[in-house]
Amino acid sequence: MFRFSSLPPLSLYVHLPWCVRKCPYCDFNSHALRDELPQNEYVAALLRDLEHDLPRVWGRTVHSVFLGGGTPSLFDPEHIDRLLSGIRARLPLAPLAEITLEANPGTAELERFRAFREAGVNRLSIGIQSFDDAKLSALGRIHGSTEALKAARAARDAGFDNFNLDLMFGLPGQTLSQALSDINTAIGAAPTHLSVYQLTIEPNTRFASNPPANLPGDDTLWDMQQAIQRLLAASGYHQYEVSAYAQPGRECSHNLNYWRFGDYLGIGAGAHAKLTDPSGIARQWKQKHPAAYLAAAGTKDAIGGESRLTRNQAVGEFMMNALRLTTGFDKSLFDERTGLPIGQIVSQLEIAQSRGLIEEDVVHLRPTSLGQRYLNDLVPLFL
Amino acid sequence: MSGWNPRNIRNFSIIAHIDHGKSTLADRFIEHCGALERREMQAQVLDSMDIERERGITIKAQSVALDYRARDSQVYRLNMIDTPGHVDFSYEVSRSLTACEGALLVVDASQGVQAQTVANCYTASELNLEILPVLNKIDLPAADADRVISEIEDIIGIPAHDAVRASAKTGVGIADILESIVQRIPAPKGDTGAPLKALIIDSWFDNYLGTVSLVRVIDGVLRPKEKVRLMATGRDYQVDEIGVFTPKRRPVDELAVGEVGYVIAGIKDVRSARVGDTITHTNRPAEKPLPGFKEIKPRVFAGLYPVDAQDYESFRDALGKLQLNDASLHFEPETSQALGFGFRCGFLGMLHMEIIQERLEREYGLNLITTAPTVIYEVVTTKGEILQIENPAKLPEAAAIEEFREPIIRATILVPQDYVGDVIGLCVEKRGIQRNMIYHGRQAIITYELPLNEVVLDFFDRLKSVSRGYASLDYDFLEFRTTDLVKLDVLINGDKVDALSIIVHRDQAQYRGRELAAKLRELIPRQMYDVAIQAAIGSKVIARETVKALRKNVTAKCYGGDITRKRKLLERQKEGKKRMKQFGSVEIPQEAFLAVLRVDGK
Repeated sequence: MFRFSSLPPLSLYVHLPWCVRKCPYCDFNSHALRDELPQNEYVAALLRDLEHDLPRVWGRTVHSVFLGGGTPSLFDPEHIDRLLSGIRARLPLAPLAEITLEANPGTAELERFRAFREAGVNRLSIGIQSFDDAKLSALGRIHGSTEALKAARAARDAGFDNFNLDLMFGLPGQTLSQALSDINTAIGAAPTHLSVYQLTIEPNTRFASNPPANLPGDDTLWDMQQAIQRLLAASGYHQYEVSAYAQPGRECSHNLNYWRFGDYLGIGAGAHAKLTDPSGIARQWKQKHPAAYLAAAGTKDAIGGESRLTRNQAVGEFMMNALRLTTGFDKSLFDERTGLPIGQIVSQLEIAQSRGLIEEDVVHLRPTSLGQRYLNDLVPLFL
Repeated sequence: MSGWNPRNIRNFSIIAHIDHGKSTLADRFIEHCGALERREMQAQVLDSMDIERERGITIKAQSVALDYRARDSQVYRLNMIDTPGHVDFSYEVSRSLTACEGALLVVDASQGVQAQTVANCYTASELNLEILPVLNKIDLPAADADRVISEIEDIIGIPAHDAVRASAKTGVGIADILESIVQRIPAPKGDTGAPLKALIIDSWFDNYLGTVSLVRVIDGVLRPKEKVRLMATGRDYQVDEIGVFTPKRRPVDELAVGEVGYVIAGIKDVRSARVGDTITHTNRPAEKPLPGFKEIKPRVFAGLYPVDAQDYESFRDALGKLQLNDASLHFEPETSQALGFGFRCGFLGMLHMEIIQERLEREYGLNLITTAPTVIYEVVTTKGEILQIENPAKLPEAAAIEEFREPIIRATILVPQDYVGDVIGLCVEKRGIQRNMIYHGRQAIITYELPLNEVVLDFFDRLKSVSRGYASLDYDFLEFRTTDLVKLDVLINGDKVDALSIIVHRDQAQYRGRELAAKLRELIPRQMYDVAIQAAIGSKVIARETVKALRKNVTAKCYGGDITRKRKLLERQKEGKKRMKQFGSVEIPQEAFLAVLRVDGK
C-alpha cells in the first residue's frame, strides 16, 4: 500500500508541438510546420484541455509553468499572453512561479522576447546547441552562429534576468577546443543557467537510421565533459544535474520538480502528466498527433493513455530521477514522494554503496562522482 | 489378428541422407497401402517429434506395418523400420538394420551419394541385407539419374542400373518400389519351434504405457501374459500387451518369426530395455542372446547450467524426464565457480547434444548456458592410476600426469574432388592422419584418423564451409591414443574461470589461447572497469587482452515526458544482463562460454 503524508508540489507543462523543421537528432513530439500555425485554435484547445484536467488538481497551487516544444517561440506573443492569462484564470499560480518559454534563434528576437516577457514569461530557454556554423548545419538547425549570438544577447536586452541556453557537445567532427569555445561563447552571453547535453543518437530519429560520420570517440567525449565541467565551475555555474548547470539560486524549478519526483499536469499534444493521489501515482498522456489532439481537446478522447505505477515502478522512477541530482536527496523525500518506506531498498543501497556508487548518512543520500558517471549502472539496481 | 506366414513378410529399412526424402517416401507407402485415411496423414507421419519434423531427421526409430496387395494378388506384410539418420546414432542404425532382410537405398537424384548413406550401406552389406537402390526426386530439373547411378555403382559397389526412379513428392514409382520389395527382399527365416529370441530395435517411454519396446522376432513366438527375460540384465517381466503400428497402435495375439511389433511389459525405464538386447521366455530361455549388443557410451560431454539459479530443480526434473526416453543421455550434478550449480551431461555426439539442449529450452522453458563440449580423456597418473576425465576442471596438476590419452575416431569423408585439397587442409589442421583416399569419378572418399576433441569443436561447420556444403562425414570410435595435451585456462581479472578451460594439443595451445582471448574481448561488453582476459597454461600466460572500461554510462536527458520510456529502456537492458553471469565484478555473456567453439581457423 502506498501511504502519502502530503501531496508533492505541482507544476504545469504545456506542449506546443510545431517546429519550422524537425532536427535529425530530435526524438521529442515535434512536427514540421506545413501550413500556417493554428495559433488561435491551439491555444483554445489547450485551455479546454486544462479545464478538463482541473478536477484532478482541484485546490492545488502551481509552482512552475513550462512552455516546451517543438518551438513555442513560433507562437506570437499575443497568443502566449492569451494562453498564460487563461492558465492564471483557471489555476492558482504561486506568487513567484517560474514561467519558462522555450525559444529557438530566428529573426527579430528582441521585440518578440520583450513581448513574451510582458505576457508573463519570466524565464527563457534558448535552443542554441552550438555557435559554430558547420556544427549547426550538421545538426540540421535552421539558424547560424550569428542568429545564435543575437538570440543569446537579446534575452538579456529584453529584460530577462533569468534565462537558459541549451548547448550540445560531442557533435560530428567536434574537437575538444571547439566544444570549449562553444561553452565560452555561451558564458559570454551571461545566462543564469546552461544545459549542456552530449549529443545522443536516439532511436527513431533520422540520425539513428543515418548516423552522422566522425562522431567523437568515447575518450574524447569524456575529456570534453570533464573540461566543460571544470570551465563552468570556474565561471560560477555549478552542476546540479547530469546536464544542468546554474548560477547559485538559478536552478530550473520546473525541472527540479521532475527530478524530485514532484507532480505535474500536462496539456498539449503528447504532454505527459504525473499525479499523486491517496491510492498511488498515475501517469497520463495526451493524444500525440496535433490534429487528433486539436479535435479531441476538452474531452476524454484527448487522453492518449494512462497507467498507474506499481510499487516497484514508483521506486524505480523515483531513483531514476532523484539520482540525477548531484546533491542527491533527503531520505524523507523518498517516503514522501513514493509513499513507500525507504527501508525496502536497503539491500540495493548496500550493493550500491559497496560498489562506491552512492554515499549516505542518516538523513541524506547522494550519488558519488563514480555513481554520477555510471548512473546507468546505478539506477538499474532499483528497477 | 496375426499369424503371418514368414513367406509373406518383408522387413526393410530406408537408408537415406538427411533431406533426401525418406520421410516423404514413407508417407507415400503408408498412403498407397491404405493404412491411414488421407485426412489422418500428418505430413511425415514417421518423424513424430517436433524437432525431428523441423530438422527433417529421425532421432528415434519407429516402425510401420503395411499390408500390401502385390501384383501376384497375395497380401504381404511389409514392416518398414525407420532408422536414425545421423552419425551420432550409428549403433541404433546397426540394430535397426539387423532386424531387416533388406534396405532401400534412397538417393536424391540431384545431389548424389553422401557419406552417411555410404556408411549405412556398408553396415547393411556387412549384415547381408539386400539393398534396393531408389533414385528419389527424379522430378527435379537438376536430377541426373545416370550420374547418380554410376556413383552408386562406383562408391557403394552395388548394381544400380535397374534402380527405381521415383518421386515421393509426385508419387511416381511408388508402386514399383513396393513391388520390388516383395520380389527382391528375402522373406525372414527362423524357427517357430525354437526358444524365443526377439531383438529390441528401440525402446521409448510413454507416459501412459511405460516403456514400449519395438522388437523383431527372430525365433519362436511371443504372446501376451507370458513371462519374459531381458538377457542383458537377466530381469524378468510379465508381458502386458503386444501389437503392431499401422502406424496406429494395434494390439495382436501373437508375434511370430519374422514379425516386427511392440512389447509392453511393465518395464519402468528405457535403460532396462536397451537397444540390441534380446527378449526370451523365462521358462524356456534361449541359450545365447543375439549377437551385437553393446552398451552405448556417451562420447561428448558438456556442462549445462541454468542461467537463473532458481531453475536448478526444474532443470533436474527435465533431464530426468528426457532420460526416461533416452538411454544414451547421461547427467550428473556439477558445480562451477563461474556458473554455479548445473549438470555435466554426456551425449552420443554433437547433434545429440544440440537436440537435448533445444528440447530443454523449448519444451521445458529453461534458459541454459552450455560450456564448450569436451570428450572423455584418459589420464595415467604418476602413481599409475588410470583416470577418465570428462571435465577439464577435474584434470590433475600437470606434474601428476604421466600420460595423457585422447579418443581417436576414424572419419570417412565423401567429397567432390574440387574440394579435396581444402578438406585435407582442414584435417591436417585438426591433427588428422590420412589412412586412405579413393577416387570414384568426381567423388573422393578420404579416410582420416582424427582426435575426437577436434571434431566436437567446429569440425562439421568447417567441413561444410570448406566444401560449400558438399562434403559429408561419418565416423566411428577407434581407440584412446597417447598425445601431448595441455589444459588451457582463461583468467578474468586474474581469476580462473573454470567453465572456460579447454584441453588442447600443446602445438595448438598458443594459437588457441590467442584466438580465444581475442574472441572473449569481442564478446564481453565494456563495463565500469577494465576487464583483463588472459589465456594461460599452468602459470604461464600465453595471451592477454583487455576490454577497456566505458568512460561513462549515463543518459544525457531525462524529463517529465520520457520517464516511463527511459525506465523501460533500462529495464530491458537489465533483462538482457540477466542472461549474463556475474563473475566477481565482471559480467560475462552466455556467448562467451561458447566462444571456445567458434575459434575459427585462419
